[in-house]
Amino acid sequence: MVELSELENDALIEIFNIGVGQAAASMSALVNEEVRMSVPSISFINRTEAARLLGSRLASEADAPDRICGVSQHYEGAFDTDAILMFPEDKSLELVRLMVGETVPLQELTDMEQEAMCEIGNIILNACIGTLANVFQQELRGSLPEYHVGTSVEILGASGSEPDSVVLMLHIDFALDKHQILGYVAFVLDVSALHDLKEQINHYIARAMGQA
Amino acid sequence: MAQEQLLALLHSVLNAVTLGAVVLDHERRVVLWNDWMTKHAGITPAQALGAEFFALFPALRGGRVDAAIGQALYNHFPSLLSQSLNKAPFPLYANAAVAAVATDLHDRLQQAVAVTPVDLAGAPRHCLIQISDVSIAVGREKLLREQTMVLRSQTFSDGLTGIANRRHFDVAMEREHRRARRHGTPLSLLMIDIDHFKAYNDHYGHQKGDGCLIQVAAALSAMLKRSADLMARYGGEEFAMILPDTDTAQAMQMAETIRARAQQLAIPHAHGGDAGVVTVSIGVATRHADAPIGIEGLIGAADRALYQAKRRGRNRVEV
Repeated sequence: MVELSELENDALIEIFNIGVGQAAASMSALVNEEVRMSVPSISFINRTEAARLLGSRLASEADAPDRICGVSQHYEGAFDTDAILMFPEDKSLELVRLMVGETVPLQELTDMEQEAMCEIGNIILNACIGTLANVFQQELRGSLPEYHVGTSVEILGASGSEPDSVVLMLHIDFALDKHQILGYVAFVLDVSALHDLKEQINHYIARAMGQA
Repeated sequence: MAQEQLLALLHSVLNAVTLGAVVLDHERRVVLWNDWMTKHAGITPAQALGAEFFALFPALRGGRVDAAIGQALYNHFPSLLSQSLNKAPFPLYANAAVAAVATDLHDRLQQAVAVTPVDLAGAPRHCLIQISDVSIAVGREKLLREQTMVLRSQTFSDGLTGIANRRHFDVAMEREHRRARRHGTPLSLLMIDIDHFKAYNDHYGHQKGDGCLIQVAAALSAMLKRSADLMARYGGEEFAMILPDTDTAQAMQMAETIRARAQQLAIPHAHGGDAGVVTVSIGVATRHADAPIGIEGLIGAADRALYQAKRRGRNRVEV
């Protein structure tokens, strides 16, 4: 699998924390209440493995087995990737209701709530990728967000990527008021995208070290 | 098709679509403005074209629409602004008659907005703002929510008195506390307890006791006039009243009116103190924006005030 040096790993975690920090600030402004977000850890795994992991992890937290809500966007440029924000379905209900401030609990997200979920995904994914593009001094273009519900296998495979694609998986820790919600952001990368990403990380580290 | 004809066709299509389409150039000047926008914004193409976008919509400067335009023009990222999280950002109305009498956001069209980057050969990047009217969907979901509330009210009401139960109180408190925190409005809580209720039960029996609870609950809950106000049975002979947008002075006044109303019911109580009738003690607590406290803190404060009212002789209001 992909080996990242400790330095590369730390650099990525730092970059993503800057990204979700900006996303949290945008979301706080949106709801007029403090939203906190952090990325405690990242890992590289293959897509099949990621789906299995998400399925078992998320399912153990949810009542219904393996139903996941995902918001995906495709990005291309310095490297190509499908970025997907994922929560277990019940957690996505909680998240949207907290953000929207609505308390009537329906079984599933309504159309308007799905749209709100898309906006939340859009803010988080644009911030993560935007920070990456920024530190890499590269440009990336993005698509509009899409909403999905299904199993982890379905959601990770929705873009038609190869099953042996690599997934860069971020754990996202979302907190509003007393509520804490754990989710994931997956960046699905094919072999060449992965190569491009590693190269960019190393450029960045070299620049950072050079300046130090 | 000839180039010119194609352009004319595209122009007609742009004006025929049933959503708002606005294109901004790299300096955020309006370069395209379709008929839908003219109709719902009341701004003609002559006024819009060439104008700086934020000169047309000054209230949007610095907000989420501004950020989304920046993301599209300078970072190449599209943004989605949902109706639920962005309450009607654009001043768009069903028609000029509605616009003329509009007073707040509810009168505007409910909007879903997408801002996407648009590449144009030989020019710096432009961006497209699309606005859809989602008023119908919003109305439908509001109805769905209301009907769900009606269905749920059975599990949300107290079996004996018919007013809201403890579970309903918890949900409403959570919602109103969040609203108060976000809007910086005061939130008051009254804790109301029937005085010497154990003595009443012992003397008159449990059936009469139940009757007393029903009568007091009905009379006091009928005093609430605003839809967000809620009276719940908190436990035994204790009731709680949630009063949003109510400061301490107003809450005290309300509490005093309630205390007087309970006494006025004139339910005989041989062991009920000097009055000879059933009375209530009330503790008042308020969450102010400049002294923010949590839900537990607010309930605790109202509880302590109630205890104070009991200690100082009952049939009184304390804060």
